[in-house]
Amino acid sequence: MNFRRKLLATFALTVFLSVAAVAWIVSLVTRRAFERSDEERTRALVSEFQREFDRHAEEVVRRLEAIAGGEAATRMALALGVSRGFLNDAARIAESQQLDFLEFVDGAGTIISSAQSPAKFGYQDTSLTDLASLVRKPAFLKREELADGTVLGLFAVREAKVGEEHLYVIGGQRLDKKFLASLDLPPGMRALLYPDAASGFSPQLLVDPAGTVTQPEKLAPLIREVEKTGQPSIALLDWSSDPADDETMHAIPLPGQDNRELGILLIGSSRRTYVNLKRHIQSAALLVGGAGILVAILLSSWAATRVTRPVEQLAAAARAVAAGNLKTQVEVSSSDEVGELAAAFNRMTGELLEQKDRLVQAERVAAWRELARRLAHELKNPLFPLQLTVENLLRAREQEPEMFEEIFRESSATLLTEINNLKAIIARFSEFSQMPRPHWQPVQVNDVMRGVARLFQAQFGARGHAAIDCRLELAEGIAPIAADAELLHRAVSNLLLNALDAMPEGGTLTLRTGTQDDRVRLEIRDTGTGLTAEECQRLFTPYFTSKQHGTGLGLAIVQSVISDHGGKISVRSQAGAGTTFILELPRNLDKLEARAAEDSERATSAR
Amino acid sequence: MRLSGFPLLVASSLVLAVAAGADTRPAYGGTLHVSVGIAPRSLDPADTSEPDSIGRRNLMQLMFDTLLTVNSQGRLQPALATAWQAEPGNQRWHFSLRNHVHFHDGSLLTPEAVAASLRTANPGWKVLAAADSVVVECDAPAPDVAAQLARTRNGIAKRSTARNPIGSGPFYITDFQAGKKLALAALENYWGGRAYVDAIEIELGRNGRDQLIALDLGKADIAEVPPEQAQRAAGEGRRLVTSAPVELMALVFAHDPQSQDESKLRQVLALSIDRASIENVVLEGEGEPSGAILPNWVSGYAFVFPEEQNLLRARQLRSEVRQAPAWDLAYDGSDSLARVIAERIALNARDAGILLQPGVAPGAALRLLRIPLASVDPRIALASVAGFAGLPAPRFGVGSGDEIYQAENAMLETHRVIPLFQLPACYVLSPSVQGASQGRAADWHLEDVWLKSKLP
Repeated sequence: MNFRRKLLATFALTVFLSVAAVAWIVSLVTRRAFERSDEERTRALVSEFQREFDRHAEEVVRRLEAIAGGEAATRMALALGVSRGFLNDAARIAESQQLDFLEFVDGAGTIISSAQSPAKFGYQDTSLTDLASLVRKPAFLKREELADGTVLGLFAVREAKVGEEHLYVIGGQRLDKKFLASLDLPPGMRALLYPDAASGFSPQLLVDPAGTVTQPEKLAPLIREVEKTGQPSIALLDWSSDPADDETMHAIPLPGQDNRELGILLIGSSRRTYVNLKRHIQSAALLVGGAGILVAILLSSWAATRVTRPVEQLAAAARAVAAGNLKTQVEVSSSDEVGELAAAFNRMTGELLEQKDRLVQAERVAAWRELARRLAHELKNPLFPLQLTVENLLRAREQEPEMFEEIFRESSATLLTEINNLKAIIARFSEFSQMPRPHWQPVQVNDVMRGVARLFQAQFGARGHAAIDCRLELAEGIAPIAADAELLHRAVSNLLLNALDAMPEGGTLTLRTGTQDDRVRLEIRDTGTGLTAEECQRLFTPYFTSKQHGTGLGLAIVQSVISDHGGKISVRSQAGAGTTFILELPRNLDKLEARAAEDSERATSAR
Repeated sequence: MRLSGFPLLVASSLVLAVAAGADTRPAYGGTLHVSVGIAPRSLDPADTSEPDSIGRRNLMQLMFDTLLTVNSQGRLQPALATAWQAEPGNQRWHFSLRNHVHFHDGSLLTPEAVAASLRTANPGWKVLAAADSVVVECDAPAPDVAAQLARTRNGIAKRSTARNPIGSGPFYITDFQAGKKLALAALENYWGGRAYVDAIEIELGRNGRDQLIALDLGKADIAEVPPEQAQRAAGEGRRLVTSAPVELMALVFAHDPQSQDESKLRQVLALSIDRASIENVVLEGEGEPSGAILPNWVSGYAFVFPEEQNLLRARQLRSEVRQAPAWDLAYDGSDSLARVIAERIALNARDAGILLQPGVAPGAALRLLRIPLASVDPRIALASVAGFAGLPAPRFGVGSGDEIYQAENAMLETHRVIPLFQLPACYVLSPSVQGASQGRAADWHLEDVWLKSKLP
């Protein structure tokens, strides 16, 4: 990943994380604020319920006191023991007093008249005990068993006493849809009532002023928990797959006169507002995030342009320097760190250029000196016999004229031999200076290796030499490469000669081929004396040799051949552990096409 | 006594004019206003889709004559038929028709018209018209044919699809709004003598409260009052007329018991019901607790069937049955008395270990029904109850008292019917209504009623 992309990624990530963090924090704050608001609204609604409860309780008590003090109750009290004639009185009075429940009960607890269950006349009212203790108490919650199920009501007990006769008036109002509808509910809230907190959950019992509760079974766990613990509880209910339909449901137990839970008030608070707000926050975050990322792209592009262009120029200049163009300079466009870097780069290339010039000059001098030394050394050996022979001829002519003829013949032979040596020396130098250009043709490197091995086969086991074990480890299926077979043969031969020289005591010579990536690899390994690290460094310097009678041109020639093929030569060696020369050659197939084109052109021009 | 024919009417009017101011003397004229709870859609006496009731019968009697009538002693009296005779074997009956009787449209009441009317009402009979009589032939011995012909459902009517049936009764129809109103006018040349009032306007489908209000406001002269409110109405100073018990309130099972256990459970239910308390409190003393199907005034032996609550015996029987199913007890949702009684019966049954679920579900296995007394003839009355209960009609030979008792007892032993109460029909009258003497069978006889002058 380049710097520009890294910069873009960094900018985008920073913006994304920032927006995400802000959105998360805002959502968190919003949720907490909503929960606080929800709690406050629930508390307010519970207070409202309590107020409404108290108001109805006072109303029930007021109406019951009116009934107990009325003519009908007095008449009934006076006629206790005469059961006829009161059947519908309770219902009639309850209707006139707008009570849902009304019963007249004598001192023994026998129902005289009942509005809610007229047929119960003569039966004992077992729902309340010790009526006398309740006549001065405020209204309380009580469950009432009706023919169509259990309902919850707000009841009070009052007494009509005539003489020694006690007539209890038990009445109340039903906690039903009407009661719930009288609550002043804030938007998004609703109140439900479950009037039987003792016998499990029955969906039919749920009282909802808005109608029938849909999916009532979802309230069952909450109601069962409150029934079990007797404590308020909260649950989050998901009514549909849309989170906006979720509702926080508070369940508050409603105790009766003996503090047993009789019913459960359910206060639902819709999460629609919160979910919509959360969605708005998420949408805004996405919008801001998207815009931020767009801005980040623009900013990063601008910054990258500002920052990376000089860096890219520097990189290009560095590549140029690496390619050998030490004259490369970059534009210093700013005075910041990048500008300083560019100036330093320019100074560096200038200094490198100067150093290179000096080095080239020094190397040239050194090369000339080495050449002179080598020439002096090479020429000195044949010249010394030449000098001695000529001096011997002169001395023989003066001192022994009769022997001169014979000495002349012998000396002439010596002179010719040495002169030939001189010519050979000169020819080798000439050969090095006149290395031919490769003649490209398809070449099987395995064939080259085999050819060289065959050429030297006789020397591996020659008398007077230690035995050399030559091993060919040639990879199969190597495709032909474009090369000059003769030059390649010469290079491998030189390396093989060096290997033989390195193993005066015999050893193993391994010729190996293989492929690596798109290149062909040739290895010539011996188990000879090996090279020192310094020798390895200087090995390919022209005229360097580690041998007593070497010209120092062998490896230079090898390197020149390999270089002309676009390849690379390297050496791995360790003193006493042998040496391995590695030749890596490209396939150079384009050279064949170029040559074919040249041949075709040449043939065309020849015609 | 009523006068017959126009000359007598004129003469009697003169006499009455002379005697003006004497309230106890009958007077012609005026419109009688009646308010009733029934709301008939049809005025055809033979229309079986209309529920039978005392009120409907009284309406039909105003417009349609029967061949025979039954007096307060339960004896058959001539009406359109002046004489009747059964051939040996009681399969063939001869009815001699009264002459010179006309339908309300002026056409003569002929044997053919009578035969056609009876064939419509009794598809199982073969009715033949003779010169001045009709002959009824039955497939089997039918000793009760004459009594059947006294029922209002056998009122003689001339039917056509375009209009209401036309009768020959003391009043003819001037306006009928189905379920709402019926207006009648007195037939001047009625064979039994012109009615005292000129017209009757009957408000139909009025609940008890509206009827009493109409009476109190002077908009009605006669109104029905439920038995349980009769004493209160009387206590409030209204003129109350009460008949003998003419309606059976009973629990009726839809099916025969499927096992011995179920029979026992039905006995448990019958024994658990505290009829006395219900009669005392719910019915406020009106009506008679009854363990019999027929009222005592009809059968004479109703007292032999026990009606007292026997909770001890009920629980003992209940303990002999391992499991008791819950029974739905259906009652008429528009009948507040039935609702209270059903709920009370459920409470009583629970005390004995039987669970009853009162409601208005029509398909319930147990129903609380009001069954009007079909006739003062016990054979017809028993057959009618059997029809309500889905039981086969009892067959009678000579129709002796023992025979009737055996038939009723057999019906009770099927445990399909649990009698509860025998209820009377009660009416309140405005002060201006004179001459009203409701019979034991709750028949109105409004043709005998006259209105006291409202002028001082």
